[in-house]
Amino acid sequence: MINYKAIIRVIGNLLLLETMMLLLSSGVSAFYHDDALNSLLITAGLTGTIGLLMSFFFRKSPNVFTRRDGYIMVTASWLAFAMFGMLPFYLEGHIPSITNAFFEAMSGITSTGATILDDIDSMPHGLLFWRSITQWFGGLGIIIFTIALLPFLGVSGLQMFAAEVSGPTHNKVTPRIGITARWIWTIYIGITALLFVLLILGGMGGFDSICHAFTATGTGGFSTHQESIAYYHSAYIEYVIIAFMFISGMNYSLLILFVSGRFRRALKDSELKWYTLIVVVVTLFITVMLWASQNMESEDAFRHALFQVVSLQTSTGFSTTDYMLWPSALWGMLLLVMIVGACAGSTSGGLKCIRILVLFKVLLNEFKHMLHPNAVLPIRIDKQVAPNSLLSTVMAFCLIYLIIIFGSTLFLSSIGIDFMEAMGCSVSALGNMGPAIGSYGPSSTWNSMPDAGKWLMSFLMLLGRLEIFTVILLFTPNFWKRN
Amino acid sequence: MKIIIAGAGAVGTHLAKLLSREKQDIYLMDESEEKLSALGNNFDLMTVVASPISIQSLKDVGASDADLFIAVTPDEATNSMACMLARSLGAKKTVARIDKYEYIEPKNQEFFKRMGIGSLIYPEHLAAKEIVSSIRMSWVRQWWEFSNGALILVGAKMREKAEILNIPLKDLGATDLPYHVVAIKRGNETIIPGGNDEIKLHDIVYFTTTRKYVPYVRKIAGKEDYPDVRTVMIMGGSRIAIRTAMYAPDYMQVKIIEQNPERCHYLTTMLSDKTMIINGDGRDLDLLKQEGLYNTDAFVALTGNSETNILACLAAKRMGVEKTVAEVENIDYISMAESLDIGTVINKKLIAASHIYQMMLDADVSNVKCLTFADADVAEFTVKEDARATKHMVKDLGLPRGATIGGMVRNGEGILVRGNTLIEAGDHVMVFCLKQTIQKIEKFFN
Repeated sequence: MINYKAIIRVIGNLLLLETMMLLLSSGVSAFYHDDALNSLLITAGLTGTIGLLMSFFFRKSPNVFTRRDGYIMVTASWLAFAMFGMLPFYLEGHIPSITNAFFEAMSGITSTGATILDDIDSMPHGLLFWRSITQWFGGLGIIIFTIALLPFLGVSGLQMFAAEVSGPTHNKVTPRIGITARWIWTIYIGITALLFVLLILGGMGGFDSICHAFTATGTGGFSTHQESIAYYHSAYIEYVIIAFMFISGMNYSLLILFVSGRFRRALKDSELKWYTLIVVVVTLFITVMLWASQNMESEDAFRHALFQVVSLQTSTGFSTTDYMLWPSALWGMLLLVMIVGACAGSTSGGLKCIRILVLFKVLLNEFKHMLHPNAVLPIRIDKQVAPNSLLSTVMAFCLIYLIIIFGSTLFLSSIGIDFMEAMGCSVSALGNMGPAIGSYGPSSTWNSMPDAGKWLMSFLMLLGRLEIFTVILLFTPNFWKRN
Repeated sequence: MKIIIAGAGAVGTHLAKLLSREKQDIYLMDESEEKLSALGNNFDLMTVVASPISIQSLKDVGASDADLFIAVTPDEATNSMACMLARSLGAKKTVARIDKYEYIEPKNQEFFKRMGIGSLIYPEHLAAKEIVSSIRMSWVRQWWEFSNGALILVGAKMREKAEILNIPLKDLGATDLPYHVVAIKRGNETIIPGGNDEIKLHDIVYFTTTRKYVPYVRKIAGKEDYPDVRTVMIMGGSRIAIRTAMYAPDYMQVKIIEQNPERCHYLTTMLSDKTMIINGDGRDLDLLKQEGLYNTDAFVALTGNSETNILACLAAKRMGVEKTVAEVENIDYISMAESLDIGTVINKKLIAASHIYQMMLDADVSNVKCLTFADADVAEFTVKEDARATKHMVKDLGLPRGATIGGMVRNGEGILVRGNTLIEAGDHVMVFCLKQTIQKIEKFFN
């Protein structure tokens, strides 16, 4: 049956990793002499001790993982990470409510970027750094990090990789999963470092640069300022961040191809084409609307439009302007872009372009099928015929995505949130975006939401980050049956 | 010449028969004794029951001193392997039948040469090319290009509208006609016409002409009201069907009707969305009507069953499809299919065999095509210095009856030959002759 010992050992290992990050944040805290040092150190001690105990007691557990173990392990790891991750916020009362602390931690590691902090600028540096690094870490995935670092997972790593990485298909670019994971992390670190340098050059301070580099490449969206990127009033910084958000929205296997010089194969990817096309079309549309309705200068309109579109489509959630002041038709556009999302296999959330593409092709084929009832109409992705099992998986995913959004919207409206806002929050949380609409828009925070809503939103973030099935599976009776 | 043919399938046997008539030393290898026994007794060749990829048996048949080794088993891997072995043992030339388009791409030829496979033959691709060129011009029964299209051979069936019926050929305007009638097929008989012969209704007439005058030939043959083919329906998702759909120009809409659902799925993985795959029985006329048979310009029947193909084409003709093409693998049925008024008949074996046949001929005769339905040969000669043909004008050469010069290519340019043309050394001459006369003709040009 389920190999709890092995699961506990892996989670223990993971907590040790978290301890290292906590110590790093403590270092930052000590450097700035702020008042978060104690809570960070206490948490590090606690997490480290528990992690050590878990790894030590079960060090002899058999190294065999079944599919079920993999799913439990992934979900449990993320939960454990969030639970320990909230302690630094809570212990010394920087965030006094447990609900808020958990929400903030979950929003951090799922790289959502929704915050309950109404005064970010006064937070101690140590905690700001902790917020950012959880997003960086969670953006790409904690399991994939484990696979890259800890070879002991072996073949079973593959199942967990599949359970955590976003998107309907996982095409391998290197034969071994451990090598792929290492490649991905190397590229990830490289992109982050590059962004850090570019931001420093743009005049952003060292601390801000590193935090924003973390949260942009992780498509998280936590900022060190209440005003987000608008704080800097710098077109250069905005364009740089746009570029890096866009890159982070790409499939990491494509990035591996780019980095290893296989451009032609990478550029042929149809998802990349659609991703780019959607960004371009929606940006142009919004630019024209803004230019016509708001008397904005054309460059301003273009830059703001592009920034919000890329930020929301890649599920980052930075903002340079309050789009709630735009014409309401544009909110709809942005909501749409949030649902669509970027590419599979990236750090972003949402449905992902590839699924939308498949759905559209299925739809078009339905019409063709009415005219030619006997025709055999394949769905092609990159010229390859997609197997039927993939099509039904995609449709099932989209259905459950819509059901969850609808259910959550109903729940939020029933606890007194305006219907449009409820929907915006649900879409935003499930897609790991950050800002929603209305009083949860870019210029405000989620603090005003009732506690029940916050817990639900935290759950939705986890669901969205693990692409729903991995988590929901644990709630199906069949999963726990002995068969 | 010592020729070893590996694989006594349809192509191999046909080729063996063809070559044994040419007085070559033919060894036909196959693992199945059954396939060989019928041949060995009736034809002048040696049959060997052995595997073509066994080194010992290759040594036994004497691959080391073979001039030509032809591997035409159904499996391309076996063919390639056999060729590589034979070549390493010492065979001078090797030919392998393959089944992948990427192999015959020009950039890979050198690669295969290095491995010991001199030439590749892809029968399905050759057949597809022939199908596409015949439906591209729906009024044409046969279309062959010589010397990269410098000269063109067009075969067309004469209907009531033809302008040249019942006139002796010499009265058509002998000196400046932009075409030359090289063969006439009337019923089962093939005529190499002289000046006094006439073209009759329902004859299939073979013209040689240059590209510029193809429309003129179309006009005098009374075929101007034939539409361009834009929609093609293929029955049967065979390998030829796949190649045809790939080879068809972009403006043609191709539909393939295939009965087996798994095969349909396979077809979708092979072809792009340009081709629509229909799962159903091609003999079901209701289905064909549903899928727009009335608006189809060409119907191509490529199932594995010759009878089905012939009947389906007849049905399609009756429903008003202008152009039909049937694959007829049973050689005895070809002339019958011909008389039943099916547009073009495709035979993979004949196409492949004649292709290999032409590849193996020595430098003097670089190109002999088997005219499939007319019982005639087309031979291409390069005229040598001081050959008899260079001494007199064509009308005074005294060419034997049953042979005619269809045209020639001088410096890459196609020229039609008339009575007072003088042939020069170095010209490529296309001669059309009945089977018996080819040896006699050779003397004129050597």
